[in-house]
Amino acid sequence: MTVIKKSTVWICYLLGLLALPQFFDSVLAISIFNQMAIAIVFALSYNMLLGQGGMLSFGHAVYFGLGGFLAVHALVMIEFEILSFSIIWIPLVGGFIGLLAALFIGTFSTHKAGTVFAMISLGIGELIAASSLIFVSFFGGEAGISGDRTFGPPFFGIEWFQNLEIYYLAVAWVFIATLFMYFFTLTPAGKMANAVRDNPERAEFIGYSARRVRYITFCAAGFFAGIAGGLFALNYEFITEENLNAATSGRVLLSAYIGGLGYFIGPIIGAVVLTLMNSLLSNYSDLWMLYLGIMFLLTVLFLPRGFAGFIMMHQMVWAHGKIKSLVLPYLITGVPSFIFVIASVGLIELSHTDEAEFYYLGLNFDSTTAIDFILISIAVLAALFCIRKSLPQLRAAWESANEISDDDEKEAQS
Amino acid sequence: MSVLSLHDVTKNFGETEIIRGVSLNIERGEKHAIIGPNGAGKSTLFHLISGLYNVTGGSIKFKDKEIQNKKPYEISRLGLARSFQVTNIFARLNVFENVRCSLLWSSGYKYSFWHLLGRQKELNEKTLEVLEQIGLQDKKLTPAGELAYAHQRALELGIAIASGAEVIMLDEPVAGMSLTEAESAVELIHRITEGKTLIMVEHDMNIVFDVADRISVLVYGEVIACDKPENIRANTHVQEAYLGEVVTDA
Amino acid sequence: MLEVFIFATLNGLVTGLLLFMLASGLTLIFSMMGVLNFAHASFYMLGAYFAYSISLHFGFWTGLIFAPIIVGVLGALVERYGLRRVHQHGHVAELVFTFGLAFLIEEAVQFFWGADTKNYQSPDLLDFPLFTLFGQEFPAYRGFMIGISITIFISLYYVLTKSRIGIIIQAALTHPHTVSNLGHNVPLIFMGVFGVGTALAGVAGVMAGPVLTTFPGMAVVLGSIVFVIVVIGGLGSLAGAFIASILIGLLQSYAIASDLGMPDLLNILGIEFSRDHPLTDLWTLTLPQIAPILPFLLLVLVLIFRPTGLMGKREQ
Repeated sequence: MTVIKKSTVWICYLLGLLALPQFFDSVLAISIFNQMAIAIVFALSYNMLLGQGGMLSFGHAVYFGLGGFLAVHALVMIEFEILSFSIIWIPLVGGFIGLLAALFIGTFSTHKAGTVFAMISLGIGELIAASSLIFVSFFGGEAGISGDRTFGPPFFGIEWFQNLEIYYLAVAWVFIATLFMYFFTLTPAGKMANAVRDNPERAEFIGYSARRVRYITFCAAGFFAGIAGGLFALNYEFITEENLNAATSGRVLLSAYIGGLGYFIGPIIGAVVLTLMNSLLSNYSDLWMLYLGIMFLLTVLFLPRGFAGFIMMHQMVWAHGKIKSLVLPYLITGVPSFIFVIASVGLIELSHTDEAEFYYLGLNFDSTTAIDFILISIAVLAALFCIRKSLPQLRAAWESANEISDDDEKEAQS
Repeated sequence: MSVLSLHDVTKNFGETEIIRGVSLNIERGEKHAIIGPNGAGKSTLFHLISGLYNVTGGSIKFKDKEIQNKKPYEISRLGLARSFQVTNIFARLNVFENVRCSLLWSSGYKYSFWHLLGRQKELNEKTLEVLEQIGLQDKKLTPAGELAYAHQRALELGIAIASGAEVIMLDEPVAGMSLTEAESAVELIHRITEGKTLIMVEHDMNIVFDVADRISVLVYGEVIACDKPENIRANTHVQEAYLGEVVTDA
Repeated sequence: MLEVFIFATLNGLVTGLLLFMLASGLTLIFSMMGVLNFAHASFYMLGAYFAYSISLHFGFWTGLIFAPIIVGVLGALVERYGLRRVHQHGHVAELVFTFGLAFLIEEAVQFFWGADTKNYQSPDLLDFPLFTLFGQEFPAYRGFMIGISITIFISLYYVLTKSRIGIIIQAALTHPHTVSNLGHNVPLIFMGVFGVGTALAGVAGVMAGPVLTTFPGMAVVLGSIVFVIVVIGGLGSLAGAFIASILIGLLQSYAIASDLGMPDLLNILGIEFSRDHPLTDLWTLTLPQIAPILPFLLLVLVLIFRPTGLMGKREQ
């Protein structure tokens, strides 16, 4: 890509972020956007570890949480005039703490990648989460600690009473963090992180200590996770033990994986999808975590490179103008798949509901008799049957689209 | 003056002695081949010199510095590069990035996270030069893991030589290649090691006698002969140990 | 003092043996496939829930037999249709898959059984004190847990070392290709071992359910500790897992039973701190308080100073 094309992408990203509240300006929407902003930075920092550096972590929330806790403490100190600076710098406090924690923990955890790293990260995560419940004066026990962001010196007259103001501040930080994390992938350290991920042994024979390369990546990931934690502190003005425990670590793994590891844009997609599911779906169904689990397992099984990987699969076909030949096959399989998902969700919800009358998609179902169960089950099975029947044609269409691309490429080269 | 010298190097794996007192001097600029039957310890010797294994005893000097038991990356930084018998590349990086990575340290970038690679003109030009040398300039954007076998072997060589190290160790560079592929590989080896010191393990005697100035014969962890190719060919010890019989009309 | 020690030891043994029942299956599965099964404790939870549902209609003893079988079959299916498929994408994908599975099973359990704690009871038959020591009773059910665990381990040991199938399994663990070339169906063996490993976890769940309460979080509570055990013991080493299980069981039990803490230590050293010292949490720390974090502390220390674990041989 040329420089101009690349900067266009970045400018669109920034404008898109800034324009969002123009289209959705409800209180709920702004709060969702704030969550999204936090989730994006956090997921991107996780991808630095796993996607770029090949380190599977089950304790990444530690850096997010510690950054967040210190950020809230900083807010409290501003409130009591122990410190005095504008709260726009709070995310940097979080980042600095995340970096410090990573600098220390990385000295012994980055010795090896693979299972050993994963286990150390799990151990450290559990250790810190459990300690946070013991050291009540710092972590505030189960209730957590809270602060107030409106006490610092105003920033050009802004006193941060509105969530919208925080959103624009978050956008600034998200944009800067994304930009720097992207630049990191283009530096010697970032590229060597990929090399060490692929083949740590060979990296040592071209002059690089695999351990040192991992350490640098690990610290950078800790720094950006801390920034996300600082943003969290600014947005919610409180933080609890939940924000550094295994559940939060697991959720960031989920969002990065679903979005697509190894693609820079993957975790952004994952963070957006997960935040939307979290905040929209949870209004309609208390089973949304179940759906998330199912979606995650299906992604691991059938889309090992995530949503981003799925999109990138089509790059070649697109480049050779063969994408049109796929539209119809996709529709033939896609429509029954859609019906299958809708009907399955209906079936799950219907069997879960306590009420006799159950509304779903504008239809009224009766959960007390078997007849509606049977009807929906038939829909599920019929859709499944259609999917199975249509899969071969989709596979054939996919292969033919790709085969032709190969020939085209050979022609182009000769 | 020798650039690399091994003095009474031994290596045991548990009870088993794999290398049993190897002493060897490699002169600056020479092309040195190490031959020997399977299991003689040739690859182990390479691993010892390049730092993958620690020695059990003895010393290895490279440019007057003791390097036994140093880490591979420390040895590599001193200017000793190697390739592997089993292709050992960065599978998910593309060909260009593979070569560029191996140029990074010698170009002084170290662990920098403040240089943007795309802007390093000199580095990228050097990378392209290496790609041209190994004949992969057309494949530069292909992920290394998707290359054909012969191309992967060429890339393997490219990664080894890119840093401009003065001593290059090649471990069976033409293993698994067809005859024509091997021929062009040999030509490539000639080209890229011009003016440099080469140490090579190879089974194909035609290639060994074509490339090497001097040959060491390693049998059961010991060097039984180290001499010019024509003398090695005539050496009856070598013939007995290596070829299994004495060839009379050599 | 002595009675506290004896009871802490007995309770520690019960916990340790229970942990080993999970850890042994996890270790077998790891040596076989090279992947740590994150969902292993979830199968333990499923064991407890299945046994609870069965016990409602047919009583505890039917549950003890059939719940592990159901869990084992489920485990085998997961191996066949899940893990085997992800295997081609590498170890990280496998680990992530089992992680997702653990997540899903927890949600599924809440879907089918609800989020509340189930009133899963030990059988009336065992509702008497096994013996009374220093006026304290030791429940027969705990004695039964010890008995069952030891019986299972001894029979498992015999199957693994003496029987033909055990020898094939042992060979398949280290040399799958050779065993496959000898004409044995290695994938089937893998599936079988995975099934038996998860069934063992199921047994542990059936027995632990009445003691440690049956609720959707029970997998998380025990899961990470079992992980800690197999890593501390050395990945792939059954003997190491056994030592680590008993060690952690005893350690936690002693820490909970003792009432020692920092104040005692400070008293001995003659140091005093006021209540409102900023580090007051540190100066008032007691052993029962830190009991839950001891396993993780031990894990981090072991991994730093002995990355292969206590009895482990392999590096990764």
